[in-house]
Amino acid sequence: MRIALKICTLLMGAIMALSAAAQYCVADLAGGRKVESERYVLSYRTKPEKVAVSQHFAVEMAVCPKAGQPAPEGVRVDGFMPEHNHGMNYKAVVKPAGGGRYDAAGLMFHMPGRWDFIFEVRAAGKTDRMTATLMLQ
Amino acid sequence: MSDGSLTGSHRSLVTGHWSRLSRLAALAVALFFFPWQGGAQNPGEFLLDFSESELRMILQHGPWPPPASRDPSNRASGNAVAIAFGEKLFFEPRLSAKGSIACGTCHVPERGWTDRRKLGVGLVEVDRNTPTVQNVRTHRWFGWDGSSDNLWSQSIRPLLDGREMGMTERQVAEVVRNDADLACRYEKAFGTRPPADDEAVLVGVGKALAAFQETLVSGRTPFDAFRDALEKGDLKAAARYPQDAQKGLRIFAGRGNCSLCHFGPNFTHGEFHEIGIPVFKKAGGVDWGRYEGIKRLRANRFNLLGSFNDDPARADGTSTRHVALVPQTFEQFKVPTLRNIALTAPYMHNGHLSTLPDVVRHYSEIDPTLLHMAHLYFDPLVPEAVPTDTLLKPLKLTSIEISYVVAFLMTLTDSETGKPRKPLPAAACR
Repeated sequence: MRIALKICTLLMGAIMALSAAAQYCVADLAGGRKVESERYVLSYRTKPEKVAVSQHFAVEMAVCPKAGQPAPEGVRVDGFMPEHNHGMNYKAVVKPAGGGRYDAAGLMFHMPGRWDFIFEVRAAGKTDRMTATLMLQ
Repeated sequence: MSDGSLTGSHRSLVTGHWSRLSRLAALAVALFFFPWQGGAQNPGEFLLDFSESELRMILQHGPWPPPASRDPSNRASGNAVAIAFGEKLFFEPRLSAKGSIACGTCHVPERGWTDRRKLGVGLVEVDRNTPTVQNVRTHRWFGWDGSSDNLWSQSIRPLLDGREMGMTERQVAEVVRNDADLACRYEKAFGTRPPADDEAVLVGVGKALAAFQETLVSGRTPFDAFRDALEKGDLKAAARYPQDAQKGLRIFAGRGNCSLCHFGPNFTHGEFHEIGIPVFKKAGGVDWGRYEGIKRLRANRFNLLGSFNDDPARADGTSTRHVALVPQTFEQFKVPTLRNIALTAPYMHNGHLSTLPDVVRHYSEIDPTLLHMAHLYFDPLVPEAVPTDTLLKPLKLTSIEISYVVAFLMTLTDSETGKPRKPLPAAACR
């Protein structure tokens, strides 16, 4: 009886772990775009959907570890204009929203032109960096 | 080439393709195939074949004026009684320590709401040029260093600055409390007699001053007529815009990259840049610009995150919450509006450049190696190199090209601002 109970507990633990992993792997945000690194798939979308020059916006992110990779310990997002060699004048603050999702507030792209989103996912002593380009008019 | 009878066909070419082509692409095609080059049949008419990307940049500079909007942080905003009170205060010299200087002493209506001095002069000369207060409702940051995030806070600052108006909170409050007309206006604007709390009266004065300044919107200009004609596809009307101004606009919105910072209907994206203007103060030391401005903003009890904000949600506080204090902000100053720029010489944060040709020549001959350099020598706290903004490169404009850009800038001037202002209404408050 005791052995059966232990097996049940182990099975339930395994199921919960798998379901948590499955939650992390729902990296599809409706209307979002995906970028990926060696260890993660990150889906993101902006709020509002259309980013306007010199107007604040937020970013929703869903981060999904690839098979066997650790859950993220921290996520960052920033913006950079490679053609001007400068970034944003504002620092985005990222808060976990549960289920592998993160909400970033306070971004602003203050000039028209090419902007690169820079996403960083930190886990197990390493940081994965992903970029995505937005042409802002 | 075309005559007047072709105008209609031009218009239909543009509007007829609206559903299939983007509006801008259709307009660019119309301009390409039917260039207006003046000539005997069309004297005074000329229209460059602006590309789609040039048209996009041109159209984003309007429409003008922007729709009026209330400032949620200021309960006096948009209130006609408070606006009249603010106007009275703006020209009230008793709000200075010697009773000789009003806001309107430096922000002179007939001078584009500036003083046409290189450096402003309050009780003594200050370190910066007096900026215009026209179109301030559209701003996110106030002052050359953006040390205020709202207009009422910015209006309080010079009242208490020892070099500008040199008042204390108590003195400002007493001017209002002890003058029957001002006290009456305060009560009508805010619903209570001026209270015993000096700080509360000071903030009320700042908010009334802000309510007035929000109404100072510059008028429509020849550029606005041109821009709107393009948007409507009325090429004949657009072709009346001066030829030299069109050529200057093409440089401004194109290879000059001026529109990247002087962006939007008010010709500023509202942020800060370092552009190679000397930062040494006349009295010695360095003006650190935005870097010090952010520090002052955070220390300011009247900022949008504080208790004097009339919006309980602090919805307009996002910029203040997230602004980054980083070394790149050294020596950065706010990108000014270009509306009525012809009325507000001299230019730059310290009046370093006297004329519009000087300004254009500065960008034409700028030495990028001089950007972001001064702090390396003068601030031991930031020993490492700061990433250098690579946007600014010498434009190498010819003298005729410089004159085109200046011709364009001149068309950003309205016809009303420079005229004498109507006197204040004499009727006392009852």
